[in-house]
Amino acid sequence: MHSKSHNLSPFPSLPHSALETFSSTMASQTQPEAPSKNVGPEYRPTTQKPLATVSTALKHENVHVLPQTPQLIALLTMIRDKNTGRADFIFHSNRIIRLLVEEGLNHLPVLEHTITTPVGRTYAGVKFEGKICGVSIMRAGEAMEQGLRECCRSVRIGKILIQRDEETAKPKLYYDKLPEDIATRWVLLLDPMLATGGSALMAVQVLKDRGVPEDHILFLNLIASPEGAKNFAEQYPKVRVVTAFIDMGLNEKNYIVPGLGDFGDRFYTM
Amino acid sequence: MDDSAQKARYSPPWGNASIIGVAGSSGSGKTSLALAIVASLNLPWVVIMSMDSFYKPLTPEQSEIAFRNEFDFDSPEAIDFDVLVDRLRDIKQGKVCEVPVYSFEKHQRVKETTTIYSSHVLILEGIFALHDQRVLDMLDLKIFAEADADLCLSRRLVRDVKERGRDIEGCIKQWFGFVKPNFYKYVAPQREIADVIIPRGIENRVAISMVSDQIQKTLNHKSAQHQLELRRLGKIAEDSPLSKNAIVLKQTNQIRGVHTLLMDPDTPREEYIFYFDRMVALLIEKAVDLLPFAPSQVTTPQGNAYMGLKKTGEVSAVLILRGGSAFETGLRRTIPDCRAGRILIQTNYRTGEPELHYRALSANIAEHGLVLLLDPQMSTGGAALMAVRVLVDHGVPEDRIVFVTYLAGRVGVNRVLSVFPDVKAVVARMGDDMEDRWVETRYLGC
Repeated sequence: MHSKSHNLSPFPSLPHSALETFSSTMASQTQPEAPSKNVGPEYRPTTQKPLATVSTALKHENVHVLPQTPQLIALLTMIRDKNTGRADFIFHSNRIIRLLVEEGLNHLPVLEHTITTPVGRTYAGVKFEGKICGVSIMRAGEAMEQGLRECCRSVRIGKILIQRDEETAKPKLYYDKLPEDIATRWVLLLDPMLATGGSALMAVQVLKDRGVPEDHILFLNLIASPEGAKNFAEQYPKVRVVTAFIDMGLNEKNYIVPGLGDFGDRFYTM
Repeated sequence: MDDSAQKARYSPPWGNASIIGVAGSSGSGKTSLALAIVASLNLPWVVIMSMDSFYKPLTPEQSEIAFRNEFDFDSPEAIDFDVLVDRLRDIKQGKVCEVPVYSFEKHQRVKETTTIYSSHVLILEGIFALHDQRVLDMLDLKIFAEADADLCLSRRLVRDVKERGRDIEGCIKQWFGFVKPNFYKYVAPQREIADVIIPRGIENRVAISMVSDQIQKTLNHKSAQHQLELRRLGKIAEDSPLSKNAIVLKQTNQIRGVHTLLMDPDTPREEYIFYFDRMVALLIEKAVDLLPFAPSQVTTPQGNAYMGLKKTGEVSAVLILRGGSAFETGLRRTIPDCRAGRILIQTNYRTGEPELHYRALSANIAEHGLVLLLDPQMSTGGAALMAVRVLVDHGVPEDRIVFVTYLAGRVGVNRVLSVFPDVKAVVARMGDDMEDRWVETRYLGC
């Protein structure tokens, strides 16, 4: 199946309805059809690049997928593996999260700022512009706070708790605590898993209600389902999504396939 | 090898070591003489190797004879010249040389070896240092130490009883049975082929200073050759565009912003360290991508299969001191248990020539999947060349070496990558060709 490679998107020309049919039949397959690619540094010949399943491609301009380097794939392999223990899970997911944060921060505006270097040369550099804050969607999103702090030491972090309402089966806002001046900040919204996108959509709505402009929101995410990412990107075309990987799809329980299980459980309690 | 590869070859100052042989009767003061010469130079690049290390291991029967003090240790037969010649060749070619350790108590080689590496001048001392033609062919200076026979006997008695656990009767038996006859038969004839005959051992200050001067001249010559070599490689590098094996971090807004903070003299040191560590973590992430990976299928907790990758070997690091130590925090953020060897290379402030002072590397470094050579700044590339050469000499394949640096000049990078075409460099920012080493100074605060 993997030899079917070199086509980044498994269904580039299919209409939306066809995609849904495809995903629903997919749950019954043990080996989902996935885009695979020979990954490795440019200088290496293809024969020396191992074949691996890579992120599904999406055409939405506001979805940014991290470069599919062998190192990133290996990190993802590690955290997907059910045999990976908690310590390794935490450490390796944290490494990916740092890469997500670094990529996310790149979308923030900068100001030209020229300085004189220690050897007396001028360097046309830049200055970070604008205040930021993190907002984690509890509880899995909180696992991304450490990675954020490792790049931005004293960043303020707000919290949002969204749970599925047992009666309506729809996401419901239970709690939020956000910086007073959040409307003047750039917001890094944190949630490692984007399945149907229900909570993330609601979280963006909460932020918008607090006056945060949509284009000041960056959603940082580890693994997304194609449906979830697509839905999110279309609902909020100005919010930028930064993700490490877009998976194959969702199963009948709305779990991401192949996914990595319950991120919060594996990070906190398992 | 084609012509351009030939031109780009780098020979370190230990690449063609000079070897000085010091022969003389047992107890004639060869060792003290060699030590006095080394002490007067006081340089890590002048090393003594004793031929005592090359005694042949004895069979159980021979061992019994030896314990009765009836074994002839003072004949050339007792020395393993084949191994000696082999090791001398390694030293001559600048390779890592494992010198056997001989136990006089057990009359056996012990399991451990001592390593000689990167000596520019080696002093080989032993009663038969000028005996074997193959050794003679490799010697640059042949010295014969001469001393009065009574003095030799008394020195030998003191040494064997005190240091080698023998008794006086046994020693005297050996002296008249073996040492003396062998002296006339094998040792004395070496006088004839010596370049210099030094009487009175360490008391002979004039002779010691003459030999030291001679060695100093050799060292200066080697240093001049080395600098010439570095300049020649620099010329080749100057005319070429940045090597394709140099991977420069994409200069995104964040990277440029961090550069700005790092270069701005007004940034407080606390911030400098924080941002430097952050940059290093990114550099390391970039570098570890060059590790070979293999396909690996895993099963997720929900029972789904994922066709991913796993690393195929260990990533280790070698810090070029002292600057390389500024990489340690960032390194451990990515690989907490990373093995980290160390090499101290200092640039001689008078000549500008890099000099290797110290090295401590993992024993199995040759088997590591990727070795990251860490130095925050590369200017001329001289230290980097030397460090890569050290790794190659220790058996690390070139294509598993990645030089990781914060700031580099094009000429320096090209110099290293043209000599070692399979080595990769990962660089956060390309700067001037000859910048002061300010990066580590700011990080370490002195």
